[in-house]
Amino acid sequence: MIELKNVTKKFGKKQVLKGVSFTAEKGKITCLIGINGVGKTTIMKAIMALTPIDSGEILINGETLNKGSYEKVTFIPDAITMLPSMKISEAFTFMADFYNSWNMERAKELLNFFNLNETDRISELSKGNTAKVNLILGLALDVDYILMDEPFSGIDIFSREQIADVFTSHLIEDRGVIITTHEINDIEHLIDKAVLLDNGVILKEFDTEEIRETEGKSVVDVMREVYRG
Amino acid sequence: MNRYLKLVNFEFERFFRFYLILIGITILSEIIGIIVKSKTYLNRAHQEINVNLMPQSEFIEQFGKMSIYNFSQSGWFMGPIALCIVTLLIYVFFIWYRDWFGKNTFSYRLFMLPTERMNIYFAKATTIILFVLGLVALQILLFPIEIQLLKWLVPSEFRIDMTVPEITENLYYLYLLFPKTLIEFILYYGTGIIAVFVIFTAILFERSYRLKGIFYAIIYVAVSILVFLGPALFDAFVLEGYFYTIELFLLEIGAALLVLAGAIWVGNKLIKHKIRV
Repeated sequence: MIELKNVTKKFGKKQVLKGVSFTAEKGKITCLIGINGVGKTTIMKAIMALTPIDSGEILINGETLNKGSYEKVTFIPDAITMLPSMKISEAFTFMADFYNSWNMERAKELLNFFNLNETDRISELSKGNTAKVNLILGLALDVDYILMDEPFSGIDIFSREQIADVFTSHLIEDRGVIITTHEINDIEHLIDKAVLLDNGVILKEFDTEEIRETEGKSVVDVMREVYRG
Repeated sequence: MNRYLKLVNFEFERFFRFYLILIGITILSEIIGIIVKSKTYLNRAHQEINVNLMPQSEFIEQFGKMSIYNFSQSGWFMGPIALCIVTLLIYVFFIWYRDWFGKNTFSYRLFMLPTERMNIYFAKATTIILFVLGLVALQILLFPIEIQLLKWLVPSEFRIDMTVPEITENLYYLYLLFPKTLIEFILYYGTGIIAVFVIFTAILFERSYRLKGIFYAIIYVAVSILVFLGPALFDAFVLEGYFYTIELFLLEIGAALLVLAGAIWVGNKLIKHKIRV
């Protein structure tokens, strides 16, 4: 489980996170929802120790993040984390060199699934294909948790569909996923848990299935209630 | 350790193509330079001796004999060395900033590697040191080739032959690059390495605190310089030459090690807990 306990973060004078607490369980897709600038990406970066927090605590499987944690949790930001000059095959070799959890077989499987060619250079890929390679770099790691920042942002409809298909496949099963989005429509049917954020504060955290069954509400219905009062 | 070596290899390869270009420019410029300088000298000798009928001894008296020293004072020699020095000085900064700037977010990947983050710091420093030593080694290899070329191009009566140590001793501006003794090598290159570490830690201040970080970095560098020069300054201005040279030397070594340890310790804290991608 990933646990955030009362996390605060300031950028200059702006308080970006004001005591954020929530959990994300293994085997579930947790979605951080909020408009741009509410602190979604900061939370992701804070979990990965890519930005320091001012106070609070972040635990991964009960431990604070250490170098070994990067074999258990990975982050797929909204831009590719590899050098543009690399070929896809070189990016895979880089990952295999540094991560024990890198699963080359799965990487190749995903490459086929997305109809990509490993001799292609990253800088020459379309935006959609770059996003797919970025996704592969995260998904081909045998990690317990995957954090994805706006995986559908700015890419074409067919690429979106392909990426959405990944969520329902064995590639995601049993893993814990935290995904951020400001457009819920693409993934509403996929998520198990929603965390509604606004202005650095968690407004509501709920199980999507439960709220559908008990209150007959969709995620968008709850969002309307919470954000519009 | 394993991942550190992989990082060194990775960092080395990232700059290697550019590095080869630097090596190519250096070799070409120096080889062409020695030919051009020799030909110019011989043309002048021909003009003065055969056309203006100046006696050979008078020509040598007036214009001197040709040697590697004449060549080493020219732009053909100094130019590529200056280019290499400036490029590597810029690369000390660029080796970090290239991971943040541009379309990619490679800094994310680097800091998410399952290894101590200090390995990234040490790998980048090692790469810079290897590049510097590589260029110095190239120069030392080039000297014998240039000596031989000069022998082929200029007749012995117009030439002064110099050995490699004689050449390096006479390179006024570059004596730091080619120390004569092991102690001098350790001193000059040790100071250089410490300077690289201090600059790296200053860069980490900026990358951690951004605008405020520039201010912290300036203070940090100033304090490091003060500590480094501390014993010498204290001896000169407060104690007015109290220490023997050897005592001052040992104190300076201590101060240098202190600055190095400080750079590594602060760098580790920043890269582990404060860095922002």
